[in-house]
This record gives sequence, C-alpha cells and structure tokens, in this order.
Amino acid sequence: MSMLQRSAAVFLTALGLSASVAVHAQPAAGNPYNGNEAAIKTGMGLFRIRCADCHGMDAKGVRGPDLTQVWASGRTDDGLFGTLRAGVPGTEMPAIDVRTPDDEVWKLLAYLRTLAAPAPSEQVAGNAQNGERIYRVNCASCHRVNGRGGRIGPDLSRIGVARARPVLIRRIRGAMEDFLSGYEPVTVTTMNGQTVQGVKKNEDLFSVQVMDSRERLQGYLRSDVRDVTGGKQSAMPVFGPERLSENDLNDLLSYLSTLRGFDPSVK
Amino acid sequence: MRSIPVLSRVARVALLLPLVGAVTLLAQQGAPGLVTNQEILDGLKEDGRNWLTFGGNYANHRFSPLTQITPENVATLQPQWTFQTNTLGNFETTTLVRDNILYVTGPQNVAWAVDARSGRQIWRYRRELPATGLTACCGLVNRGFAVLGDKLFMTTLDAHLLALDMKTGAIVWDATLEDYKIGYASTIAPIVVKDKVIVGVAGGEYGIRGFIDAYEANTGKRAWRFYTIPGPGEPGHNTWAGDSWKIGGTGVWVTGAYDPETNSLFYGTGNPGPDYHSESREGDNLYSDSLVVLDADTGKLKWHYQFTPHDVHDYDSTEVPILADIPVNGQMRKVVMFANRNGFYYTLDRNTGKIIVAKPFVVTTWAKEIDAQGRPMLIPGHTPDEKGETTCPDLTGGTNFWQPAFDPRTRLFFVNAREACATFYAYKPEYVPGQRFTGGAQQLVNTRDNKPYGAIRALDPATGERKWEFVMPTPSRSGILTTTTNLLFTGDNEGNVIALDSRNGKLLWHHQMGANLHGTSPVTYMLDGRQQLLVPSGTTLTAWALPAVPRATAQQ
Ligand code: HEC
Ligand code: HEC
Repeated sequence: MSMLQRSAAVFLTALGLSASVAVHAQPAAGNPYNGNEAAIKTGMGLFRIRCADCHGMDAKGVRGPDLTQVWASGRTDDGLFGTLRAGVPGTEMPAIDVRTPDDEVWKLLAYLRTLAAPAPSEQVAGNAQNGERIYRVNCASCHRVNGRGGRIGPDLSRIGVARARPVLIRRIRGAMEDFLSGYEPVTVTTMNGQTVQGVKKNEDLFSVQVMDSRERLQGYLRSDVRDVTGGKQSAMPVFGPERLSENDLNDLLSYLSTLRGFDPSVK
Repeated sequence: MRSIPVLSRVARVALLLPLVGAVTLLAQQGAPGLVTNQEILDGLKEDGRNWLTFGGNYANHRFSPLTQITPENVATLQPQWTFQTNTLGNFETTTLVRDNILYVTGPQNVAWAVDARSGRQIWRYRRELPATGLTACCGLVNRGFAVLGDKLFMTTLDAHLLALDMKTGAIVWDATLEDYKIGYASTIAPIVVKDKVIVGVAGGEYGIRGFIDAYEANTGKRAWRFYTIPGPGEPGHNTWAGDSWKIGGTGVWVTGAYDPETNSLFYGTGNPGPDYHSESREGDNLYSDSLVVLDADTGKLKWHYQFTPHDVHDYDSTEVPILADIPVNGQMRKVVMFANRNGFYYTLDRNTGKIIVAKPFVVTTWAKEIDAQGRPMLIPGHTPDEKGETTCPDLTGGTNFWQPAFDPRTRLFFVNAREACATFYAYKPEYVPGQRFTGGAQQLVNTRDNKPYGAIRALDPATGERKWEFVMPTPSRSGILTTTTNLLFTGDNEGNVIALDSRNGKLLWHHQMGANLHGTSPVTYMLDGRQQLLVPSGTTLTAWALPAVPRATAQQ
C-alpha cells in the first residue's frame, strides 16, 4: 500500500466509510455488477454449477485453487475476467466459451468478490492502533507481518483479505475445529527421551518434518525416534474473553483488517 | 557387437545392399517386433519378455510369475536409471514391454519408446492438441498403449484413437471417436482382442452419451459401437426420464477385462450426469455405474449388472474388473471381481451376473447391504440437495480407477482402499454443450477427528472378508502389482513406492520417489537375465533391479 493510498484510507475511514472498500488496490469500476444484489445471486448460481466442483462450494479450493484469495494476491477484476474467458491453458481450468455472455462472467466475479473480503456490514470500527499494540504483545512472537515477527504460525501480512471476520474470531477464540496444514501440533520423543514440541511441516509413513518452538527446522525418521504424536490442542493459544476482552478483540480485528498484502514500507 | 559404430553401419549397409529381397522376407516371417494375438493371450510368462496388455493378462491380474525379487532381497533393490518426461502432468500409464523396449504414454498425449537398458529415449510422439476446449475432467492423462503386430494404439484427449508405428512412433492411422468440443475425451488404455481395438470415452461431467467402440486394428475403421445409454426403443431406455438420456454421461474411461472362453468383454461404466442432481434424471439410468458384458465380435450386450442404480454421488463404476476361477463354498466358480467406488466389493458369476458376494470394504453409509436380487438397500437421507448431506464414501470413492491385483495361487484380491466421507450438494444445472454439467459438488469431511486415510487391503473374494490391511496416513491413488514370490508393490500418497509381503501386509521396502504413483502400478519384466521393477511416479519412470552379479565370472 502506498503512503497516498494509506492516508486516503484513513481519511475515508474517518468519514465513516468502510476501509475494506476503500483500500482495494483495483478500481471498483472494473466490474459493473460489484455490489449488485440480484447479479450476485445469479453469480452464485453460476458459480455453484460451473465452478464449485473444482473450487469448492465456499470457493476455498478443492481441485482448483482457493478463489477467496485471488484479489488479495493482487489480481484485478479485469485480469480475472480474462482468466475466466481464456481458462488457464494446459491446466484443468476451463475457458468460459463465447456462448456465455460477458455479463454472466461479470456476475460470477461479483459473487466471488463477496467471498473474498469481509462483508462491510459485519465490520464494527475498532481502534486499529490499540489493536496493533495488542498484536505486538500477544501475537507477534508467533506470526510474521511484513517480514517481522515469529514463524511458528502462518504469516498474517494478507490476513485482512484472506479470511472473513467470523473465521478470524473463531481462530483467536480457539473455536476452530481444524488445524491449518503445515501447523499441526506435534511432539517428537527421541530415543534418549528428549521431547521436541512444534508444528508439523510435513510427514509421510517414514518421516516427519518439524519446526520446533525455537523455530528450528528438522526432519526425523520415525525408525530413529521413540515416538511421534500429534496433539489435540492447536499450537496457537486460546485467547478467551478473560485474556482478551471483547473490546480488545474488536481493536485487534480492526488492525488485522488493515493487513492486505506484504508491504515492506510498513515497519 | 562392440565394434566402432560408424564402421559397423557402413559394414552393415554394404552387407545388405545385395540382399534387400532377403531382408523383406525376414520381416514378413515375423521379425522379433511383431506382436501376436497368442502372446497377448498368454499374458505374463516366466521368461518375462513381455507386458503386452493393460492388466498383464486379459483377466487383469497384475500378477507376475517372475521370481528373482523376493521378500528376502527386495530391500536391496537399486535404481538403474530414471527417465523424465519433460512435460507437465503426471504418468497414469501402464508401461508395455517388448523385447527390451518400453512403450509408454504420458500426459498431454506425449508417448515414448524407451530403451529398457539405459532409460534413453528411442522415439517420442507428441499430439498437437487443441489449445482450448479440451474437457478431460480430471487431468490431461493417458492410461497406456495397447499393441498388435507392429502397431501401438493410444486414445487422445481430443477423443481420437491413434495407431502408431512401434518402430518409429509415426502415425499409421487416426480415427475420430467423437467431437471433443461437445465434451468427449479419451484417456483409457485400449485393449486388443483378435483384430479389434477396444476403447471407451470420458465425459461423464460434460453431458456426453457414453459408448464403447471397437476399431479394426489394421485400418482404424469402426467395427461396432455399444452406447452405454440405450436409445429410444431399446431395453433400458425408459430408465431415463424425458430427454435426460441424451446427455446422461456414462463414460467408459478405465480398461475392462476379456474372457476368451466366452468371447466376452467386461467393462465398468461411469456415472450418470448430471452427477449429483437427482431430479434431472429420474429412474435407474441404465447402464450407468454398471458392469456391461459384451460380445467382443459384435458389441452386443450379453448381460449387465448395475452397482449403483440412480447414482447421485458420482460413483463411477470405472474400476478394473478382474476375472478368475475360484472355489466358493466348495464349488469352483467362474467369477468377475469388482471393488467399487461406491464402497462395496462384489464377486459375480461371470457367465450369469448373479451376485455371489457383495460386502462393503470401506465405511459405506448410503446403502445398508445388497439384497438377493442385487439391489442396494438404500439408507434414507442420502440424496444431495442445496443444504447438503453427508455420505461415505466421498465422491472419489472406496477405491477408483487405480488398479487392484489378484494372486491366483493364494486367491487374494488386493485393493487400494480409501476411507473418506463428504458433504454432497446439488443444484439444478443447465446443460451447455461442452461445459461442465454436474449439478453440484462435494466438500470432503476433513476435521481433526475425522481425517480421510488410505489402506491396502487383501480381501478373500469367496467371502469379501478382509485378510489384512496396511494403513497409510492419507488416501493413495496407486495401483497394485503382485508377484508369485509373495510381493506386492504399490505407492502411498506421499511419494513412497512400497513393497509389502502379500501374505500378511508386512512392510518390506520403501523408497521416496518425490511424487506419488498416480492411477498406475509398477510393472516388472526381465532384462538380460535380471528382473526389473519399473516405477512410474510423477513425471518419471525409474527402473530398479537387484545388485548385479559381479562381471568377472561371467563368460564374455
Ligand atoms: C475442471 C476443474 C475446474 C473448473 C470447473 C473451474 N476451475 Fe478454475 N481453476 C482450476 C484449476 C486447476 C486452476 C489452476 C490453474 C493453474 O494451474 O494455474 C484454476 C484457476 C482459476 C483461477 C485463477 C486463480 C489465480 O490465482 O489466478 C480463477 C480465477 C478460477 N479458476 C475461477 C474459476 C471459475 C469462476 C470457474 C467457473 C466458471 C472455474 N474456475 C471453474 C480448475 C477448475
Ligand atoms: C504460540 C504461538 C502463537 C501465538 C502466540 C499466536 N498464534 Fe495465531 N497461530 C499459531 C499457529 C500455530 C496457528 C495455526 C493454527 C492451527 O492450525 O491450529 C495460528 C493461526 C492463526 C490464524 C489463522 C491464520 C490463517 O491463515 O487462517 C490467525 C488469524 C491467528 N493465528 C491470529 C493470531 C492472533 C491475532 C494472535 C494474538 C492474539 C495469535 N494468533 C497468537 C500460533 C500462534
């Protein structure tokens, strides 16, 4: 995000407009149907029938990639329109052929757009500055933003566009029923009884690859260690209301929602 | 001959010049290259010279009589060479072997002849595919060649069947199966029966009307066609409401078996389309998700058995059928064995289609059991809708197109099974020619406490009972090869090639290949007196053999 965009975003926020709309890198004018409710509904139907099979009902990816993150990764409406029209040659991603009119393709994208960013109505403005402070104290030791912080947890530089607000809340409050792949808790017990705790980067029948709590990467052959156990408890601590009040959570989320892609200028 | 190459060529040309007539005669008498019907019929033999048809033999056993590699020495296998495709996409091919040369099809309809001694390419064929509009649902793959005489046969992603010259890779003929622009593709390995090449088409997700075809091996002329969906006036036509039969899918994309005793072809058929939306095609939807048994000369239907009437979970029955004669309750029976994507394992009488065994081999929640008439007893609540319903197995199924194997000595049936469930959704789809036409989707159930996993399972085909299993952390897509020395070769999903003891499932050897064996199994053959194991994984083929006996003692 350039300084100019950043100050514009702050200005718009001050005017009471949703930051999530204002800070999108691409012009909203690209897709005539963005925000059009009827069009979005049509788009949803088209998506479910034509795309969900590969990309998942929630567009988070099955045989094709996660589409909820394409804008976050820097794609634009116009660029995506081109992708849908042409397909991705040499892959399974089909082209939408000429028998489908342009406006249906735009409607599809208008629908996908609603999955990509947190819905503006859900966003209650918090104090992002306080949120950032909370983040630095509680989270930065495990998460990286713009090249700084720990690596036990996933990089959060794009988390503001990559995940919807309810998903973030569930993750922070410890209510996710799933581990992220690459971050499953694991304990390795070596032959001499030492234990190594960390997150599982990969594994197969014969080996396991671990980042331990000191961020040391190491692979272990199962035949050379006493035991490898996956924990039930996420490697991310639970931040319940006693640790993180509703207000602080709200501030934290406001901060997280400003994280929209790696930005080396932010220190 | 270890003479200087240039000299030897000059010498040979000089030698041959006056003898052109004699050379022609030699070719006609059957130069070593010509593959005969008898050799295909013979299947895998002790000399290990040949692997000439998809399943090793027509019965699809994938059972090798070679004896050098054993449970005792398998862990000493050494890599001999690796071949790389230099093409995007992965191998799903069964390599054919003939006279120390390998014949391999790869992704995107590239194919090779490869020297089995060195892994070096002899020729390469590449089909010019249309830049867009290909509809292969699930990868630009190919499952292998068939061979007869001096011709190799290969299906293409744009729904053609090609004959290639075995010596050069040049096209001999090119037959169009159907128009790829309206959803047809072909990935199946053909088989040759007598003078015909048998193929099928893919497109069950694109509103095709599936068929099995036979082409004259010599000319590429179509000999017969069997539509997997009966047309107006034919029996079974009324199992499709309205016009749904016209776009009811039912592709045939996995190679079947052939029984020379009765001249019958056994083919599994694909899912009805649209895959998930029940109301789009009321009725049983014959012959989707069925075993169809055809006269190999005429393509006439002899009998059929429908595994999943009115399927709404994409349970293609395009698994590999295996034929054998086995004792059941003290009586020898001629059977066809079939581990189905729908979660049930079946043993059928292969002459009548009567059920002998039908039993789940994975967790199966859509049907309680198969009744005496062979009909699944449905468990209510398993029709997908907009809200979604959860069913096991998931759409990829209890198993799928990767090959099972059968050991005729121990009479064990080996299957690479998956334990997975999914939530299925359905919507009314609109048919647009050439577009995906599935009417829904699934979400895999994959939570902390409910993770899909895989297992190699040994089943007793006389009872359907499990004799042993080898559990793998995630579901694998590898086929299975087994040998008379009690070895079973397969792969896990993480890229390991694995050898098990086929008597008890004990792990004997593994090697990380860097990519999984996908929809294919290793093959084995003899080369200069040493048994070879050829492992296709990702974009590579790697040949393995036991350490060579020191040369010093060998006669030169
Ligand atoms: C047959 C499976 C399949 C279907 C159907 C399908 N896709 Fe894809 N899609 C893929 C695959 C695979 C890729 C990744 C291609 C690659 O390797 O770049 C992809 C890529 C994409 C991308 C590019 C993502 C990026 O990061 O730039 C977009 C956007 C997309 N698909 C949207 C759609 C939409 C919208 C539909 C429905 C109209 C659709 N897809 C239907 C398989 C599919
Ligand atoms: C001890 C290390 C640790 C701390 C401290 C920590 N996290 Fe995490 N975080 C993780 C790990 C590990 C995961 C992966 C969770 C899993 O798979 O169970 C994760 C996951 C997440 C995710 C999901 C990311 C995604 O891509 O979906 C978010 C968001 C998140 N953490 C935010 C926070 C916030 C906000 C805080 C501070 C309040 C915090 N984390 C503190 C380790 C940590």
